[in-house]
Amino acid sequence: MTPSHRTGALSRRHFALTLPSALLTSGASGCAAPYQGTGRPGDPIVLTLLSHYASGTLKEALQRPVDEWNATHDRVRVRTKAVEFTDLLTTFMVRQAAGQGADILHPYCLWNGQLVQAGVLRPAPSEHAEEIRRGYGGAAVGASSVGGTIYGYPTEVQTYALYYNKRLLREAGVERPPRTWHELEEAAYRTARRDRYGNTLVQGFGLSTYDDSTTVGQTLALLNAAGGTFVSADGRSTAIDSPAGRAVLDLEHRLVVKGASAPGVNVYKAFQSGQVAMVVSAGWWTGSLKAEMGKDYRDVGVAPLPVPEAGDKRATLSTGFMLGVNTASEHPREAWEFLRWLNTEKVSAKSANRGATTTRMSSLQVSVGSLTGRAEDMRTLLGEGSDPNLRPFLDALAYAVPEPNVPGAQQAKSLLRKNIEALWTGQQSVDESLRTIRRQVDQEVSRSW
Amino acid sequence: MVNALAPETTERVHSPRATGSTVDGRRRTRPRRRQAVVAYLFLAPTLLFFAVFLVLPLGFALLLSMSRWAGFDLGEIDPVGLDNFTDLFVDGSTFLTPILTNTLLFALGTVALALTGSVLVANCIDKLRFQGLWRTLYFLPIVTTVVAIGNVWKYMYEPGGLVNGVLNALGLGSVAFLQDPDTALPSVVVVQAWASVGTAILILTAGLKSIPESYYEAAALDGAGPITVFWKITLPLLRPSLLFVCITQFLTGLQSFALIIVMTKGGPGDATNVAALEMYRQAFSYGDWGTASAAAFVLFVVVLVVTLVQLWIFRRKGEDT
Repeated sequence: MTPSHRTGALSRRHFALTLPSALLTSGASGCAAPYQGTGRPGDPIVLTLLSHYASGTLKEALQRPVDEWNATHDRVRVRTKAVEFTDLLTTFMVRQAAGQGADILHPYCLWNGQLVQAGVLRPAPSEHAEEIRRGYGGAAVGASSVGGTIYGYPTEVQTYALYYNKRLLREAGVERPPRTWHELEEAAYRTARRDRYGNTLVQGFGLSTYDDSTTVGQTLALLNAAGGTFVSADGRSTAIDSPAGRAVLDLEHRLVVKGASAPGVNVYKAFQSGQVAMVVSAGWWTGSLKAEMGKDYRDVGVAPLPVPEAGDKRATLSTGFMLGVNTASEHPREAWEFLRWLNTEKVSAKSANRGATTTRMSSLQVSVGSLTGRAEDMRTLLGEGSDPNLRPFLDALAYAVPEPNVPGAQQAKSLLRKNIEALWTGQQSVDESLRTIRRQVDQEVSRSW
Repeated sequence: MVNALAPETTERVHSPRATGSTVDGRRRTRPRRRQAVVAYLFLAPTLLFFAVFLVLPLGFALLLSMSRWAGFDLGEIDPVGLDNFTDLFVDGSTFLTPILTNTLLFALGTVALALTGSVLVANCIDKLRFQGLWRTLYFLPIVTTVVAIGNVWKYMYEPGGLVNGVLNALGLGSVAFLQDPDTALPSVVVVQAWASVGTAILILTAGLKSIPESYYEAAALDGAGPITVFWKITLPLLRPSLLFVCITQFLTGLQSFALIIVMTKGGPGDATNVAALEMYRQAFSYGDWGTASAAAFVLFVVVLVVTLVQLWIFRRKGEDT
């Protein structure tokens, strides 16, 4: 074989070997950098913001301050991109892997551990971290932190409280919403009704397998109210098999077995049509209920989450989102500056009293029926005349416990949900559920990735 | 393509080696090479398509199945050997039981129901007038999206839904079809079988048409009853169509997850969780692409083994695909 032949053979072989990698490389390099404007000197920097505010009022609410920024800032422009919440994490993954990650991300705080571990989120610079610590409640700061480091500005914060149907409670002779678990159980049994075929007419206490928010959210809220936590302080194991955890699962199990709860029913629909007397859910629901229930909304009341015994310290669950900066962003300073402007700079609040000021983000969130972790802003915006049902959620900002966001938190939450469902449907006893959750969740949160 | 290569055949007959002339050989090798290059150029788009959309993803999945990767940074792929595979079958893992078991039961149940139903319906249709109309009616579920089918059936199964309404009207108690772990999987299997019965009917009616009428005439002359005719003539001669339906339905069943995600999201607990849904969650929700890819290869092996077993069984009966 002549040298020329050998070269030819090698190049063919190399061609075959390098074709896939060349395709990958060219694909990756072709879309390696996030869009940063034209790159010509003097042209503005364009920051991209990826969120789930994809449609309707949410999209408009975010676009308003972004348009205001773009109108007043020549050098740095912000462009919003949005996908549905169900596609948000996947979009983060795909765009990041393709080198197309947005400069500013708006993740659900549950994913923070996963995103930090994957090197996607940039820690907040010290001056921003200080501003966040000073301006927001503990739950919001905790949700935006991983391992004590703050990674972004908290935006939407949801706390959990007890929704109740005043009419159903009144008809059952219950004069006021329950304050303790004993009162909750009593009211649930008194209000529950079934027909002769076993169909649920009214659930006393709405336990629903509809989604994570109803299945896990309400369980974790009750767990927090009982003084327990889902994950240990170091984030390496679960703490659900504590007396508080056992008490919560016992309570739920009793409610199902005694017929006060029917986990098969979609509680979001059933409550609206007066088929659920009480349910634990987050603050965002008030907006939907108001819009969909019409004049029947007057029957809806919200009370702080009942505690196991009278006099126990209040606690509940808080979940939320935050705005953080991508490690791949070429303009982190500008991105943080935009976030500071959006989240901390005070401007006059249209819906509040004359002269009152709040941050743009606080106005944005309240305009879509949500809250931020800035209690002061929320009191300003939710002053006289606002929906009294929002007050318990606002008060809960002071004592809410953030949802655990350690690496593997999403999977731990799914495992918890499966085991809760297995308990409610009689597949497992309380003891078996606690043992299985311990084994499965420990394995997940402790594994070194 | 065939024409371009045709002269090569002629050339081989008068091979230069046969005459011993090296010069002639070189002269003739050049056009052959040119033809080969042209052939490869024609093949290139197809090869490129397969490389990009089949070989590359397959290789990448294989790499991921032996790595840890969170899905964000291609530079962070961390090789872990066979750990992902062993983790799937470690004590306490839910992959083998109930997930893989559910997958097999789901596929098996779907095939059994769809096959039985479609054989019966296809036989009935074969004896009816307006066969095209009946075939179209039974084929309608195929042109409906899985999401729509899943949602409609979900409402029908609900405690106050149509199915429970009928049960109540008959004086029976309500059944929590999708909420009871004992009934959830069979309930979804029924929907999947209903949704896939149309294709099976279409194939089986075509199969029935290909059975020569003379067999039935001979059977009638011999005095064979309808049941004997069905067992001794129709079913054995329908075997090629049955094999095709059986294999394709089983493969669809093993890989199915859209209907389950719409109707039960895998619940209650893991009662209706199947391998494809678990893979999707591991990759896209939990960011554990290694486990998801390992599960995909395990499912591939299961699909391969099941298909080979089906082929073997039918071949033993003297049938070839």
